Amino acid sequence: MKLELGYINIHDIQFSNESKIENGVLYVDKAAVEALVLEDEHIKTVEVDIARPGESVRITPVKDVIEPRVKVSGGGGMFPGVISKVDTVGSGRTHVLKGSAVVTTGKIVGFQEGIIDMTGVGAQYTPFSKTVNLVVNCDPVDGIAPHEHEHAVRMVGLKVAVYLGELARNLTPDEIKTYETCSIKEGFEKYPGLPRVAYVQMLQSQGLLHDTYVYGVDAKKIIPTLISPTETMDGAILSGNCVSACDKNPTYNHLNNPVVEDLFAQHGKTLNFVGMIITNENVYLADKERSSNWTAQLCEYLSLDGAIVSQEGFGNPDTDLIMNCKKIEAKGIHTVIITDEYAGRDGSSQSLADADPAADAVVTGGNANELITLPKLDKVIGSLLPIDKIAGGFDKNMLEDGSIMVELQAITGATSELGCNCLSAR
Amino acid sequence: MVKEIERVGIPVVHICTVTPISLTVGANRIVPAIAIPHPLGNPALSLEEEKAIRRRILTTALKALSTEVTDQTIFDN
Repeated sequence: MKLELGYINIHDIQFSNESKIENGVLYVDKAAVEALVLEDEHIKTVEVDIARPGESVRITPVKDVIEPRVKVSGGGGMFPGVISKVDTVGSGRTHVLKGSAVVTTGKIVGFQEGIIDMTGVGAQYTPFSKTVNLVVNCDPVDGIAPHEHEHAVRMVGLKVAVYLGELARNLTPDEIKTYETCSIKEGFEKYPGLPRVAYVQMLQSQGLLHDTYVYGVDAKKIIPTLISPTETMDGAILSGNCVSACDKNPTYNHLNNPVVEDLFAQHGKTLNFVGMIITNENVYLADKERSSNWTAQLCEYLSLDGAIVSQEGFGNPDTDLIMNCKKIEAKGIHTVIITDEYAGRDGSSQSLADADPAADAVVTGGNANELITLPKLDKVIGSLLPIDKIAGGFDKNMLEDGSIMVELQAITGATSELGCNCLSAR
Repeated sequence: MVKEIERVGIPVVHICTVTPISLTVGANRIVPAIAIPHPLGNPALSLEEEKAIRRRILTTALKALSTEVTDQTIFDN
């Protein structure tokens, strides 16, 4: 499969009476976007706003972040099985509004939605302080069930992103990047001397608003399977989390998975990027056993020399992670795991709920229990009301001067287990 | 908690879904539960069926409590 990503660099968003892209500025017809959102019968009110890097703006509670893209050629459309028909994606040309994002916020659905600060210390902890964000702040009709609320807001974010992406269909990209996978046979022939490495992506599927969708299928209902890494760039995988902020993957991160990016960069040079396996993190022990067995089996079928496993979330998925690691290692395949840590506010507690000597190569996204103080900012998009309820918040965490104390886990994308952020001990 | 209570000489049964974690942290008598969000029930079943599940788990736990073990043991039924 060969996919070209055409980057249209966006450095600002402005409201206008016509939606268009000119000279790197995304002009947005606010009324058109609001009308699009209100097409959903579950949405009662909507406000559209802009948050730019460096502005004194806090967005919370954040549900999802989506990068606007459009499928220009190669079959299928963005977010197949959810927005577009369920055609196979991942080849041809896709245009990307690079530097911009759609952020959804509004009345809290779950307890694990996040914070994006566009300036100050909080901005250093989220990748989405660096994008120009079109923020869709919407509230649902009265009496809606939480799962319907989550679904409505998820669809709103995707629809707005697709609407904006469409503006780039006929533009000439500023930069084109090409990603090409080869078949198993081609890989053996072309790169006989290179180690065969695959990426195992664990998808959040605990349920109760911790969900991921693959071509429209709820990931808790899949068995581990193969997917082309280029399919993920066209939205084959998307977030159904009411984003548990620091280490659940917003849709943006699935579209821009750094593990995929880096493996492609090394493909044909230091390794042969054989492919990608997706698996889940279910709440029944039998599911955990079945999925990890199957994942290890697929690794063996692919004759791998190495596997990189990324986790999503924490707690009981630590068991899925360790099971995957143990079982893949037991097949004689070198395994590296990517996780984050809940080591207590002083960092001295055990980092993961499960452990095994086979997990001897670990990359961490950082300690999500680390406490930080966010300064008062001039403007809040959404609401500060749930700030003591979201995961990472606590009772009376709003101080007298308006600053807020939270654990890092409250910051969207802070300890990304895909490597989307850049926490470092250096 | 399991380990602290055992430390003062009272045997403990750990009822939990993710038994591998229970093994990692050092519980000695382990009884598998149903699922993480609903360890002692199953919302897909009727109330009568749920009651039967709870009775089965509790009976297994009481049996485990009165069983001598020499190593970490999972009581499967």
